[in-house]
Order: sequence, then structure tokens, then C-alpha cells
Amino acid sequence: MEIAGIFKYLFERLEATGLGQPWVDLISLVAAAVIVFGFLSVVALFLVWLERKVSAHYQQRLGPMRTGWHGWLQTIADAVKLLQKEDIIPSTADRPVYFWAPIIAFVAAFAVYVVMPFGDGLIVSDLNIGILFILAITTFTIISLLMAGWGSNNKYALMGGMRSAAQVVSYEVPMVISVLAVIVFAGSLSMVDIVESQAKIYQWYIFRVPFGPIAFIMYIIAATAETNRTPFDLPEAEQELIAGFNIEYSGMKFAMFFLAEFVNMFTVSAIGATIFLGGWQGPWLPSWVWFLVKTMALVFVFMAFRWTYPRLRVDHLMEFAWKYLIPLGFANLILAGLMKSSGWFNW
Amino acid sequence: MSKGLRTEEFTINMGPVHPSTHGVCRFLLTMDGEVVVKAEPVIGYLHRALEKICENRTYAQCIPVMDRFEYCTSMSCNMVLALAVEKMAKIEVPERAEYLRVIMLELNRIASHLIWFGTTALDLGAITPFLYGFREREDILDLFEMTCGQRLTYNYIRIGGVAKDIPPEFTPKLKKFLDIIDGKIDDYEKVLTYNPIFITRNKDIGILTPEMALGYGVSGPALRASGVKFDLRRDDPYSIYDRFKFNIPIGQNGDCYDRYQVRMQEMRESAEIVRQALAQLPEGDIMGRVSRAFKAPACEIYSRIENSRGEMGVYVQSDGKSKKPLRLKMRGGSYNQLQVMPELIKGLKVADVVAVMASLDIIMPEVDR
Amino acid sequence: MFIGLFTTSKHLTRRHVTIQYPTERWTMPERSRGIVVLLSDKETGELNCTTCLLCQRTCPSAAITIEYEKDEKNKRHLKDFIVNNAICCYCGMCEEACNFAAIKLATKYEFSTLNRDDLIWHKDKLQEVGRNVPYTPKPKKKPAPKRPAPEPADKPDENKSAAAAAPQSDKPRNPDTVTDTTEAPAAPTEKTTVNPDAVSGTDPDKTPEKPDDPSGARSDKNDEPEPGREAS
Repeated sequence: MEIAGIFKYLFERLEATGLGQPWVDLISLVAAAVIVFGFLSVVALFLVWLERKVSAHYQQRLGPMRTGWHGWLQTIADAVKLLQKEDIIPSTADRPVYFWAPIIAFVAAFAVYVVMPFGDGLIVSDLNIGILFILAITTFTIISLLMAGWGSNNKYALMGGMRSAAQVVSYEVPMVISVLAVIVFAGSLSMVDIVESQAKIYQWYIFRVPFGPIAFIMYIIAATAETNRTPFDLPEAEQELIAGFNIEYSGMKFAMFFLAEFVNMFTVSAIGATIFLGGWQGPWLPSWVWFLVKTMALVFVFMAFRWTYPRLRVDHLMEFAWKYLIPLGFANLILAGLMKSSGWFNW
Repeated sequence: MSKGLRTEEFTINMGPVHPSTHGVCRFLLTMDGEVVVKAEPVIGYLHRALEKICENRTYAQCIPVMDRFEYCTSMSCNMVLALAVEKMAKIEVPERAEYLRVIMLELNRIASHLIWFGTTALDLGAITPFLYGFREREDILDLFEMTCGQRLTYNYIRIGGVAKDIPPEFTPKLKKFLDIIDGKIDDYEKVLTYNPIFITRNKDIGILTPEMALGYGVSGPALRASGVKFDLRRDDPYSIYDRFKFNIPIGQNGDCYDRYQVRMQEMRESAEIVRQALAQLPEGDIMGRVSRAFKAPACEIYSRIENSRGEMGVYVQSDGKSKKPLRLKMRGGSYNQLQVMPELIKGLKVADVVAVMASLDIIMPEVDR
Repeated sequence: MFIGLFTTSKHLTRRHVTIQYPTERWTMPERSRGIVVLLSDKETGELNCTTCLLCQRTCPSAAITIEYEKDEKNKRHLKDFIVNNAICCYCGMCEEACNFAAIKLATKYEFSTLNRDDLIWHKDKLQEVGRNVPYTPKPKKKPAPKRPAPEPADKPDENKSAAAAAPQSDKPRNPDTVTDTTEAPAAPTEKTTVNPDAVSGTDPDKTPEKPDDPSGARSDKNDEPEPGREAS
């Protein structure tokens, strides 16, 4: 089943109706947005359920079992519950800031998918600065975290917000550097080009020793920190700060932060799969299936980290990023550059 | 503190309702950024006036009340009162009862350390070991339930012996448990002990010097981790502990990591004691001869045992005229460890406050009674 | 780092240790202490309770209230037996104090209500819930023959009250001896807690418990009458 073919056909039919180019563009963009948004919502709901099941099985228990077969309706029940909750706004909170923080988080989480290659030809818009666009948009979340911390007018939230801002900013750098090593090899910033340069399995960037695995591990670590997951989940450390920056949020706003976190996790897994694991390349199965499989593998790795490791303290976190990851990342980048220019391992 | 930039200290309330204060304990932390400058614990949220209740109960009725003094190690609480009253009234305890008491006490120590292990891991962010610890604890609680009927507040060790004899299915289940516990503790160590994140969170944090520990009256694993070789089972043996061979783990630095290692090792030693006791278990009575409502002579007595959190003691004052104690004071190890906490956390960060509290193994029922 | 990952990942393959509660339940061990119930005779269906009031006196929480009336022979008859499950601490001391297998802590643990007053159970409910609870009935003890207990020769008079119950603390039945509680308790005393497993008693000199003599464990309530002296 060729999804790309279906979309092409629909697009041609739309053009054939003769509405005029601006209308065609508008309708196709809106349609693309709706489709991507719908897909991601389903993915977010699915990931929440998966997280609960995976965590349960790691702990030798079962997780949600009652709502639907093995609890697959649990997330929907949770979403309905959150919708019904009273939207509490603290009286001393800074209203515009408090209101816009979850929205910005949500938008930043979804805006990345403009350039995400879901499969062969399944990309909303193949910008030729694809990866740069992604890295830029993911920094939007910092703004929302700071806004949430400040707007709640709560010491714990403020501490959580500031910690998380420090953390995300610090770990942007190793993430960019590790991705840069790959870009040096691929020679282009466009996502589709990066995927196509990994046409065979031995060409996947994770396998291109020696810089590939190092870059991959750095990327995974930086991505865990970017999405505020354990072992870097200090901003939402339940045990210390009681949910950090989203203490004062309830109801739908909290749901937005929550879903944005899971969509972010999917995002970084998808980017990782695209850049390091060959994107949608693979034999026999349709391309989007391969994309999903590889992304889910990385999602599973993130979940395994969450349920195994304790949390890093904030100064350890910063020390680790600035003193260890970044020098390593630069060394890796230089190595990648040398390898590319000298032609070694350039299969 | 940077020169030229004026920073203010602010007070944060790590309130009574907090996911990781091991009960209802409140800390008023004065902080300078992330660093704690001063800490003031506020206690009393779990005060249940147990000592006053005991003044109106006969000695036999005090045993269920003592259960609730420290409900994680309820057998020890029963034991300490039983020891006090037996000493006062010169009651002899049969051999089988002594062995059963030791078995139950050491199993309870393992169970309590498993709670400690779970909550320590949970406080540091690793959620899974909590579930693993509780899975093993289920085995121990099943053993207790089949013997005395309860899982948390046992009312089992009575004055003069124990309440009920072990049922026939107890011994095979206990043997099975003893076979697997060492492997499980190895598993826990694999998850946490050699984990670099765990080590950086715990090494050189909250260093308790031996002088400070002795000055504050800290006892138990926290004291032993500071290097002081003091264990009541060896130095002031009660019951029949002098018949068992076991090691006492001692730490060197007194930081959180040492306390963690001491307790993990203690779990193994307790399992060893249970094995030896099970092998030597004699037949016989389980209850000595105690009059139904005896009166202890007018005296004051302090008896103490080595609990999993330190020295647990009870000071009984009897006036010789009534069947109820005149005054009963309970001493728990967590109280002293809570006192030493503000000293330890000066200069540490908020995240470390939680780590230190978890490693000292403070639980509030002992502090507040 | 990776060893930890492998150790936790191993658990993914293991079977879960939890059960789905309302649909599956654990079978409780027989000694499990659940709610207090009153036991009835298996043939006649009447309560085994003889209103000896021992359980009321032993309860550390004062959760049991027994209302009784005395007939012309001064024998007690049970009017109502009230157990306040909200106060009961499920210690099992009433079960151990009872010599007639009249009260037991059954293994039932599901009795939550929405109203605190519904937790105060009266005789009928206690008897009804306890109807199918299995128990080992205690044989009716015959009074032990009066014979001296094997005590040291220097205190020959101590056991004259072999047929009686425990010696009263300040007024010993036998004026010749002073019951010195600092030494090991002598023969006619009873154990603080009755061991239900040794119903025939390892103590051959254990005297039977006369139902009308409520000596023994002192109650905790200040308004509870003094045992022994005023009764009967």
C-alpha cells in the first residue's frame, strides 16, 4: 500500500479542480497539518499507554488492564478525566505568561513535524535546511518551561523552571554537535538527503565506526536531557520538587504539557532513527513501517533508561554536559571531518 | 556566593506532605540558590501519645500498642518490651521461643531494610528497585502472616515467649526464601551499587564523622558506616544472639554510599543468622510461665535491642502496686538521626537533602511516637 | 551502567507477581486476623459465648462492649455484644483470651462501609458473619482434681487454691502465702495468653477457668469495674 501514491493522487485531483494556486496550497497545507496532527495525537496517546505497560512489565506487574483489552483505552480515560478538571489559576499568577506557556510547549512539539520524513515521499515539506530547522524549533520548549516556572508564582515551580532551562540549553550543544558529525558526512542539511545517503545497512551512520556510535550515544544522552526524562528529569523530579515547573497546572493545561513531553520523546526518537538508523530504508516492508519500527526501538531505549537509572543532580548534569560531552563531541566532529575529507571508510 | 552580585536567601518548606520525607516530617530549609544554609526540622505530625496510652494498659496489653511505635519493625518493638518485663518479673523464656524470636526479628530486619532500599532508590529517581524490594518483602510478609496472622503489626512476641508456634508450611517456605534472597540482593546491587549515577549521588555526601555520631547518639547502621564498631547484638547481647556467628559490616567514610553498603551487607548477615537459627531450632514450649496479671515489682528498667534503625529501647517504670506500668518511655534510633540531619545537610543541595534522609533511614513513627 | 539495564530488562520476560484484585483473590492463611466474629455451636446454632467478659477486659483498644443481665442465680446472660470495628486493632487478644471458642478473628477483610456507624457491629451481625467460619471447638474442661502442684517443699501452702483462678494481686486467697510476683509464677496461675494450639495445655496443673470468675487481665478503661472483687 503506497501511502505516498495516495497523497500524490489526492493532490493531483485537488489541482485539477482548478481553484487556483493559492487555494490549492492552502487546502493542501491545512490537510497536511490535520493529518500530521491527528497522527501525532494518536501516537502520543499510544505512547502514554506504552510507557505504563513497559514500566509495569519492568517491575513485574501488569499495568492498566481494565479499560479495554489490556488497558488500551486508559489514555483516553485519562484525557477525558483531565478535560473535566477545573482549570485552577493561582490568584497571584502572571496570567498571560501562565496561559501561554503550555500552548507554546504544545506548538513547539508539533511544529517539528513539518520536515520529518515519515516514509519515502511522505514529508510535508522537504526544506533544504531540514535538520537545522528541527534543532531550532526544539529550543522553543525552553521558553515555555521558563514561562511556566515564572508564571506559576511558586518557588518550587521557579526552581524547576530555571533548572530545566539550564539543562536544556546545556544539552542543546552536544545534540547539535553529534548531529553535525553526521551532517558532515552526508553533506546536506536536508532530511531526505540524509536518509538517502544511508541506502544500505552498512551505510547507516550508527555503524560508521568510529565516529558513528560515539555520535549516537551522545545523541541519545542529549536527547534524554532535552526531553526532561530520567536520568535527567530534574525539572519534574517528583521526589524533590513535587513536579517542578508544572506544579500549578491542572486540567487541560497539564494535559498539554504532558502530551507535549511524549510527543517530544517521539520527535527525538524519530530524528535519531532518521539520522542514525537509516530513516525509512529497509527491505520488503513499506517505508513508513520501517520508520515506525526504528522510532519505536529508540522510544523503547528511552523508556528502559527511565525505569532503570536514578536521577542526576543538577550540578552533575551541567558538569557532565560541559566538561565531558562537549569536548568529546568536538573531538568526534573533527574526527568525522578528517574521515570525510581523507576518504577513509567512505563507503 | 559571587562577589558583587547580591543574592538573597529564601526559605522553602519541605512540607509534611512530601513524596520523600519518609512519613510526615517538615523541614524549613533556608537556601541560598540551590545550597542549603540552615535546616530546621519540625516534628510532631505523627504523635499518637503512645507512651500515655501505655500508662493505662497492662503489660500484656501494651504489646499491641508497642507494635505501632515503629511499624516497619514491629517485632523488635514487641521484643524490647517483652525483654524489659521479663527482666523485671524474672520470667524465663523457653528455648524454642528464643529461637523463634530470633528468626522473626532477623526476618523483620530484612523486611525493614528492603523498605529502606526501595525508598532510597525511589528518592533518587530509580523507581524500579522499589518494586523489586517489595516483591521480596511479600515473601517475608507471607511468612509472618501464616504464623501470626498479620502483615505489619504482629503482636507476636509476648511477655514470656511467643504467641503461636510456626505452622508446618513455614519451614519449607522459609528455606525457599533463604535460597533466593542472596541472589536477589545481588540483583539489587547490580542495578544500583555500581551505577555511576548512583555513586556520584551518594559518595562524599552527608559525611557523618564518628565524633558527631557518638555525640548525637546515632546508632545502628548509620553509626557503623562511620567506622564505629558497635552492634548491640555483639556488644551487649540480649536473647540468644551470642550463639550465632555473624559479621558486622563497618564502613569507612560515613557518607551515604557507606551507609547503603552497610545495610545491603546487613541483609545478607541477617539471612545467615536465620539459617543458623533454623538449623538449631529445638522442640519445646513456646511460652513461659507467666501469671495472667502479674505485677512487676517497683523498679525501673531500661532494655534495648539492635533495631534496623539503631538502638531501640524502652524504659519502664513500675511502682509495684498496679498491673500497669507507671511510665513507659520509648527510645527510637530515628530521633537521634533526625537531630543530626541539619548538621549534615548544611552546604548541600536540595537533591542531597533527600539522599541524606533516605540513607539515614529515618521514619517518623519512631520520632513522633 | 549496562549491567543495570540488563538486570532490569530481564524482568520483562518474567511473569507478573501481582493479581488482578477484585476478580482474583489471594487465599488467606488460616491464622490471618481479619474481623472479629462470634462463633456458634455447630449443632445447635447458638452462640458459644458464656459472657465471661474476658475478651472485653483483654482488648487493648476497648473495642468490645458486652451488655448482659444477671438472673436470679447471679449468672450472666448475654444481651448484646458490640464490637466497634473502627477502633479494633485486630491484635487477636480477645480470641486468645476466650476459653470457649466464642470469638475469633476470621479471615474476612472486606467490610468497608460508607458510614462510620455501620462499622459498629452487634451480636446478630457478628453471629451471622461468623456462621461459616471454621474453628476448632474447645472441649468443656472438667475441674481439675485438687492435688498439690509439684512445688518446692518450703512453700507447701501455696497450692491450696488449686481450684480457684489466678491469685488476686493484693488479696491472696491463701492468707498464708504471699504471692511474690518476682519469682517464677507458681502452679495455679494462668498464662497471660492462652495458646490455642495447646488447648489441652502443657501445664498439667493449669486450673480450669471458671466462667463466673472474671479474674485476670485488667481492662484499660478506667470505668471498667475492678476484676474479681466486685463481681459475683
